[in-house]
Amino acid sequence: MSTAASLRVDGLCRRIGGRAILAGIDLEVAAGECLALLGPSGCGKSTVLRVIAGLDPCDEGRILLDGRDITRQPPARRRVAMVFQSYALYPHLSVERNLTLGMELRGVPPEQRERELTAVLELLQLSELRRRRPAELSGGQRQRVALARALLRKPQLILLDEPMSNLDAQLREEIRPQLRAILSGGRAPAIHVTHDQQEAMGIADRIAVLHDGRLQQCGTPQELYHHPANLFVAGFIGRPQINLLPQADGTVVGIRPEHLVAVGNGGLAVRVLSREWHGASQQLLLESEQGPLRWTCDGNQAVGDDLRLGWEQRHEHRFRQASGERC
Amino acid sequence: MNADGNVGRTGGIRPEMRTGAWVALLLLWSLGPMLWQLYTSLRTPAALLAGAGGLAGGWTLGNYTAVLTGDPPFWRYLLNSSVVGALSTLLTLALAIPCAYALSRRRVLLRLLVGGGLLAAAVFPYVLLFLALLQVARQLGLANNLLALCLPYAGLQLPLAVLLLQAAFAELPPELEESAVLEGFSLWQRLRWILLPLMGPAVVSTGLLVFLFSWNEFPIALTWISRSELLTLAPAMARIAGSSVYTVPYGAFAAATVLGSAPLLALLLLFQRQIVAGLTQGAIKG
Repeated sequence: MSTAASLRVDGLCRRIGGRAILAGIDLEVAAGECLALLGPSGCGKSTVLRVIAGLDPCDEGRILLDGRDITRQPPARRRVAMVFQSYALYPHLSVERNLTLGMELRGVPPEQRERELTAVLELLQLSELRRRRPAELSGGQRQRVALARALLRKPQLILLDEPMSNLDAQLREEIRPQLRAILSGGRAPAIHVTHDQQEAMGIADRIAVLHDGRLQQCGTPQELYHHPANLFVAGFIGRPQINLLPQADGTVVGIRPEHLVAVGNGGLAVRVLSREWHGASQQLLLESEQGPLRWTCDGNQAVGDDLRLGWEQRHEHRFRQASGERC
Repeated sequence: MNADGNVGRTGGIRPEMRTGAWVALLLLWSLGPMLWQLYTSLRTPAALLAGAGGLAGGWTLGNYTAVLTGDPPFWRYLLNSSVVGALSTLLTLALAIPCAYALSRRRVLLRLLVGGGLLAAAVFPYVLLFLALLQVARQLGLANNLLALCLPYAGLQLPLAVLLLQAAFAELPPELEESAVLEGFSLWQRLRWILLPLMGPAVVSTGLLVFLFSWNEFPIALTWISRSELLTLAPAMARIAGSSVYTVPYGAFAAATVLGSAPLLALLLLFQRQIVAGLTQGAIKG
């Protein structure tokens, strides 16, 4: 769909009224790769997108797209397309006009417009809806129109700002593989902003975790899960949340709920406080002398049972209590 | 209303009747004077003097023919007012739309400051200005120039128009424009294809307000224009009313009133839907 390009962001800073919204973000996205920007709300992930798109100014740092420095370029010249959380479809125009108006104003000849429109409508299964207005579309259909409009821009970079947050859970799961296929079908790198780790893991090749305007860790979903760089990433990635057990030597041991195993003797003495049954597994909330623990198991414990739990050494994550960094 | 009807079966239609009565009263209150003018315009002078309210005999179209065949004929004033109104409206909108757009994209503090100034200008009683404006017209040789009337009219209506349009710009979701920016639209293309079409109701109701002001304006038109074939409606009406020392031409005056309000009614009916949408903008989520 587009020429191969790669994105590099060096030390991106953004301040509003003296407060640092972004404090030196470094990112690299290869051609055809999809990077998820994951973080709790207010961590600055949407701001990263807006600065890269040129909608917000960049106070410090450099943005390189396909080797050219676009940091100071006006947004229209960056060849960057964005799918907004609200989709931002033009409400007074039909699907068809929403998709072709931009091409028309950019001077694309009519035959080429029609050809590209037909192709993208086909790709996103929108052919039947071309005469409808946005108000007459469902959330999923609107999202596809927004994506189609972004693709028709022939961007060198696609930015998606929480594109799934207005869809219901079932639809999200259906759309994830489709979106992944479409994004990897094009050669443009993509950045997908989300606060939903399931979505990030389902769509992205790599995930960048953002917190308080700082990049916490960037890596494949497996890396983030198996080797969290600090306490924040450990706590943020993985559901149910990791168990964190403070130690006497100033470190914290992290153990994922599914890595706990029942042992005959030794280990931690716990009592079952409550139980959620999820079909394939059950989720237990336990009480121990080190505080509450979460355990995912397939056994059949009842509330009030007393057990002893342990874990294999290889599953243990160790962090420094003071800095939160991994030991 | 359904609930009311179900609870009190015996008095089922009473609430509707009460509503109907109130509506009728309000209509009478606001339409009464106009209906009275319509009635007066269709009566002979003799019938009018004989006493009010009679329906038998004395009907005539003579008042209308008198007004329309006067010198200059009455349609001339209608034409003058329409030209001045249309031009003032276009001029005001052409100036107010860019101002409002620029203002709506500024920081909140600046918007509040400028907005406050505009509000002060909008509520300033312009009658206090008309002597000064007359001097200006004399100095610049604008007297007895129909098109020159557009300048004070547009100037006086600009603050209100900017305020109204600025609010309408501010209500459009910013992503719509940002999306167009990323698609490569120029500023003019964004206004032309995205923003203005979505602000249709606000633009129409603002334009109508300007047109109404220009249509009704009296002191400036009276002092700037003295040649009778250039008069706009309001001063022309005053002339009809004061045309004779000895009689008051009730019938002719009423006929002129009816003819003078007909174009406004037509405009309002034509744009009715946009006006209502413009008035309630922001009340409901798009």
